[in-house]
Amino acid sequence: MSTREPLWYCHECNAEMRPLMVPDPVCASCHGSFVEKMENPSDDPREFHRGDLGGDDHGIDPFLMLLQNLMSRGMSPGRRSSSPPQNTGSEFSFQIRSGSNGPATFSIGGARTLGGGAAGPGGTGNAGRVPTMSEYLRRSGEGDDGQPSIAGPLMAHYLMALLGARGGPMGDIFGDAAQTGRMGDYVFNQEALDQIITQLMEQSNTSRPVPATDDIMQNLPREVLTEGSSMLEKDCAVCKEQFKLETEDPDEQVVVALPCKHPFHEPCIMPWLKSSGTCPVCRHQLVPQPEHHTPPPRDSGSRPSSPSQSRGSRSRSPGNDSDSGLLSSLFGMMSGGSRSSSNRTRHTRSTSNPESSSSNSSRDSERHLPGGWDELD
Amino acid sequence: MASISSRRLAKELAEIHSEGCPVGINLVKADDFTCWWFTIEVMGESLYQGDKFTLQFRFDPQYPISSPAVQFVVTEGRQAPIHPHVYSNGHICASILGNEWSPVLSVVAVCVTLQSMLASCKDKQRPVDNDRYVRHAPDNPKKTQFHYDDDTV
Repeated sequence: MSTREPLWYCHECNAEMRPLMVPDPVCASCHGSFVEKMENPSDDPREFHRGDLGGDDHGIDPFLMLLQNLMSRGMSPGRRSSSPPQNTGSEFSFQIRSGSNGPATFSIGGARTLGGGAAGPGGTGNAGRVPTMSEYLRRSGEGDDGQPSIAGPLMAHYLMALLGARGGPMGDIFGDAAQTGRMGDYVFNQEALDQIITQLMEQSNTSRPVPATDDIMQNLPREVLTEGSSMLEKDCAVCKEQFKLETEDPDEQVVVALPCKHPFHEPCIMPWLKSSGTCPVCRHQLVPQPEHHTPPPRDSGSRPSSPSQSRGSRSRSPGNDSDSGLLSSLFGMMSGGSRSSSNRTRHTRSTSNPESSSSNSSRDSERHLPGGWDELD
Repeated sequence: MASISSRRLAKELAEIHSEGCPVGINLVKADDFTCWWFTIEVMGESLYQGDKFTLQFRFDPQYPISSPAVQFVVTEGRQAPIHPHVYSNGHICASILGNEWSPVLSVVAVCVTLQSMLASCKDKQRPVDNDRYVRHAPDNPKKTQFHYDDDTV
């Protein structure tokens, strides 16, 4: 086939193609018969299609029109954007007063253009570069190539840019990064969203053990085993071996006793203290540990039964609890402003330790966030 | 000299061979000091009556300072129990496998704890966030920062 052969247009795929002749022309991709040979440039079916706002695949256009109408009717316009309106379409702007960032002006329409139709990169790195409504509406009358199309990500980009770039109330949720309106700060699929949620949850819920300091470790009492030492009848709870005099490693004849009096081989206990400043046996804290989950000693998997286990009454499932933690930290971020946020995020997860939980909740009224429900139980 | 890890595991294995496992727990394989399999079943009346699950332990050279990676085996026709703390990929959300791990605990102690976790289950359900977690879960459950919040089951 010659490359000069005229293209055909399939009205069912809305795409150019070369038809299959079997023997009547049918679309090579959908096998539909509603195909047209593009011979006459003045009657280009692609132009016909573009102008057809009622077409099924143009549902987004009426939607945008409606959105614009709603906005212009439903909200009273504030000050006009400082850049003078040009001829690329109607411009419309309104203000939202948000607590911390002063008034934010939203513009729809106006002179700014997307520049080349490649939506993503064009909008990056510049807070002022929000693709405008008119760019989305200006669909006909442009060349065949490089025309922006309203794909899902582009639409999302547009909305996110509106929300994030102007530092409105929603901007606080997405943080500083969103306020600069960078494309890479937005997510368009479930996977990316999941990762961000996971990240948020990890940030707000970390309760990793705190290691003992070098000072503490160096100053622990050490005893070199000698004949007749009472230690020789005891076991090291880490390696589960009895202390003994004849060892290959001379370090194993050095016994370290923690403040709780539990003895260990020096080479057994030191690596542990570097990861967690607690006694492996009784969880005595050599350094203060995260306030939650410092349970009483638990041996060989038996269920804890000490009376201090008031946390046993909690019955939330993991998912619910994670959600509330996430949400409350989101609420914490949103409330922003003058209140310090360091306390809040920390205390949202403190319900597991009976002592600290009760004292904190009575002392720290800040943790009762508007809209938060971490204290429902 | 053998590392602390293999010495400790050798000792645990010797004890298992000499004293046997607690009721309902059986050693499937322990060919080396990196990966052991056990079956566990809940004795007596429970939601898992008659079910037998396989637990996999993976040890790194820092064991017992670092916790073993423990999960239910979900291949070769084996299933993870349906439990609010057990994801369908076999990962387990249990504090003793994460930040409440202590080197005092042992393989058998973990088995017993998980056995009792199943025994006390009142509601046979997957975790609420199962789908989300399983979609992107790391291969090693230790890489997950679980968030422990429920001491009742």
